[in-house]
Amino acid sequence: MVAETQSFTAPRDRHLFARQLHLWLAAFLIFCAALSLQFGAADVRLSALLGKLVTGEPLSQMERIVLFDIRLPRLAMGGLVGAALAVSGATMQGLFRNPLADPGIVGVGAGAGLGAILAIVLGSMLPLGLTQLIGAQLVPVAAFLGGWGSTLLLYHVSTRGGRTSVATMLLAGIALGALAGAVSGILVYIADDQQLRDLTFWGLGSLAGASWGKILTAGPLIVISIAAALCLGRGLNGLALGEATAAHMGIAVQRMKSVAILSVAGATGAAVAISGGIGFVGIVVPHLLRLACGPDHRTLLVNAGLLGASLLILADVIARMVISPAELPIGIVTAVLGAPVFLWILLRRRGVVDL
Amino acid sequence: MIGAACKHTRRGSWTIAAITLATALFGAHTAWTVSAASSAHAEGSGDVLSLGGSVTEIVAALGQEHRLKARDTTSSYPPSVTDLPDVGYVRALSPEGVLAVNPSLIVAEEGAGPPEALEVIRAARIEYVEVPEAYSRDGILRKIEVVGDALGVSDRAEDLARKVGADLSTAMTKAERAEADKRRVLFIISANGGKITASGSGTAADAIIRMAGGVNAVTSFDGYKQMSDEALAAAAPDAILMMDRSGDHAVDDEELLSLPAMRLTPAAETRDVIRIDGMLLLGFGPRTAQAVTELSGALYGGEG
Amino acid sequence: MTLEARSISVDYGKRRVLHGVTFMARPGAVTAIVGPNGSGKSTLLGAVSGDLPHEGTVSLGGRDVARMPIWQVAAQRAVLPQASRLAFDFTVLEVVRLGLQSGRSGDRADIPMRALARVGLAHYAARTFQELSGGEAQRVMLARVLAQVWEPVDQGEARWLLLDEPVSSLDIAHQLQVMQIARDFASAGGGVVAVMHDLNLTALFADEVTVLSEGEIIAAGTPGAVMTDAILSRAYGCALKVSTPPARNIPYILPHAAAS
Repeated sequence: MVAETQSFTAPRDRHLFARQLHLWLAAFLIFCAALSLQFGAADVRLSALLGKLVTGEPLSQMERIVLFDIRLPRLAMGGLVGAALAVSGATMQGLFRNPLADPGIVGVGAGAGLGAILAIVLGSMLPLGLTQLIGAQLVPVAAFLGGWGSTLLLYHVSTRGGRTSVATMLLAGIALGALAGAVSGILVYIADDQQLRDLTFWGLGSLAGASWGKILTAGPLIVISIAAALCLGRGLNGLALGEATAAHMGIAVQRMKSVAILSVAGATGAAVAISGGIGFVGIVVPHLLRLACGPDHRTLLVNAGLLGASLLILADVIARMVISPAELPIGIVTAVLGAPVFLWILLRRRGVVDL
Repeated sequence: MIGAACKHTRRGSWTIAAITLATALFGAHTAWTVSAASSAHAEGSGDVLSLGGSVTEIVAALGQEHRLKARDTTSSYPPSVTDLPDVGYVRALSPEGVLAVNPSLIVAEEGAGPPEALEVIRAARIEYVEVPEAYSRDGILRKIEVVGDALGVSDRAEDLARKVGADLSTAMTKAERAEADKRRVLFIISANGGKITASGSGTAADAIIRMAGGVNAVTSFDGYKQMSDEALAAAAPDAILMMDRSGDHAVDDEELLSLPAMRLTPAAETRDVIRIDGMLLLGFGPRTAQAVTELSGALYGGEG
Repeated sequence: MTLEARSISVDYGKRRVLHGVTFMARPGAVTAIVGPNGSGKSTLLGAVSGDLPHEGTVSLGGRDVARMPIWQVAAQRAVLPQASRLAFDFTVLEVVRLGLQSGRSGDRADIPMRALARVGLAHYAARTFQELSGGEAQRVMLARVLAQVWEPVDQGEARWLLLDEPVSSLDIAHQLQVMQIARDFASAGGGVVAVMHDLNLTALFADEVTVLSEGEIIAAGTPGAVMTDAILSRAYGCALKVSTPPARNIPYILPHAAAS
């Protein structure tokens, strides 16, 4: 057998390329971050501020506010949300063994949407004291609870005797989505027109509401969830061969499924809560990466986090620049950029995708 | 075979690189061109940011239009203000967009937001005046007073309020009818796809209908709601009121009145469809007296 | 380091398909499980490999598998399923590498290519798995399983290959190739348990044969002892004629009609 080793050398390795891509994408993320700090509606430029830092000249109040209270939190939020959506998407796709799976499948989107609608429409009916206590955080908190709650419910429904049926979860997710949609419909009927407009804007998603408060609330949860998901690479690879085979290869399948679902619920729930509905990142980013360097989840998850963060930060730069000083909801930008790519993926894979 | 598979992989890498790079370049390009263009903004010469259609109208009516630096999307009257930079929809402002305009004073209608944007604006110590909303004669006068105080032209505001108040009183008195003579008016905000969304009570439409001597045909709910055909028939409006959105809202009278829900109404028999500019009709600003007169005239004929 | 399955019962819903079966296999031998369709062969292997909930205990070298950490079990034995579906476009080499993940540490980087070479598919390493034929896919899966337990004996302990109909979709040349791989693994001290359909191939390569019928073991022993007219005809419910060409002393099975 030793002789055979000599005669057969491994072909060019895309795993190696995937690992090199970590560095390239990290560089790209830094580039996007710089772009995001450099440009905005206000005439404050990072390049100028760096010059001032070197010369020791103090920043003006305007510059400080724009940089520290607007652009930095937006940058942080864009990065967190983009990474959360892309990593969650890759995790879901691995878990469901389907390249078109989306965090929405586990009911996060529907649940979060319902939570947000409840908060927007019924928030005014809460006792005044409570409203003041939660204040501006009411909608995000409700959206998170809705997303998290519906995922846990789905998980509970589809787990019997310590085994989670992914198929049951998928179907129950559709049912729960329909139910959430119906309840949302009733609430939309109750809503007044101001609330309806708020709902529309929430649904489109935006990073305009970025604040350090939101980042401090949602950030740790997103970071922990992503960190947990990044540990799943080996397990998700095994799962590509089916649950039984994964178990034969020494993967604790049930534990991995639990971690995957909880991390997706945590990351996506928190992301949707602070930014509203932002589409296509979760599907398009992992898919592009799979095309480039294969489906190995050990590298895919990390790359997805980096590319997701970069692209969402970039999308945000576009969102706030095209109609400056007003801005587009970022959901529109990701849809405009993401939908054609998604369509291209579908057409390219026609016949291979089976749901 | 190995070569083919490698080529495939490499092509994939190129594809992703191309897409990513294209997005990046697009983003950078957008940022660059816009930031280059921003210095050339047709910015107003003033230092006031006005948020809300009626607020902007009041600012202009006070003769202070020259002080405006920027406006929101809902501010479209007088037409000259549309030359000013637009900071977005009044309830979904971008904090940096507002700061970019760099106003020293923001006059905003009630409900401007989101709260995060207001927080940043507060942090930037920009003076912020909120103008309370109310769908009544007194409400309009109060708005004028608040805007006037904010702009430091209280005297002018007093004059304007006196004139607007008098006009409103005259218009409303003229429009006054005996209860039995009042016509039932249905305000339709949208008739898209044959589904009619109409105004209940508590809305600007409801208020203007009453001020013009009519009766809102629908009072069973608050706000704007989609109504069933039967409920619309039961509401039996004598006239239908819609916003005139100059073309983009192309449900013509023929189409509207031939809807099953409408066919049974008295309004369909008399073909009584009134269209008035939305900002004029629902703005509750300085022009509301004119709206009352127009609506009342349309309802009751020239003598109104 | 024997593999023991004691009093194994498996129910599908309310129907019991294995009735308290006790099965044993020793390292250094290829143990074949044969029997007609529905006799419980694959079910027995499913219970032994831990896929199916079952009564009774399975132990490796005297240790109860149910109480061993799953990674430790995986380091000890690898399972080749009847058919595999793979999600995503992994290449052949990447699929084989998946088998490595659960193996023992050490200098292992070259194992996947060697395993692929062993099944004669090294030149397919860069292909995507999805474009392989059924037989090629089956052999790649065998390479993956081989990679998982590459050394038949590890730190003095035998490792196990559990193969569920490993040659079902292969042509005759590759049937022989795969059975030879199993044979070599056993000769090197490892243990092989294979569910088999082809009785002649079984007779050629197995050291031990267990015959299942209707959820019970009706015979176990060497091919010469077990593969008799009476036992096989009873198990398969049709008349079979076993002849033994004197040169090699290996049973050779023909249907009765053809033999007469």
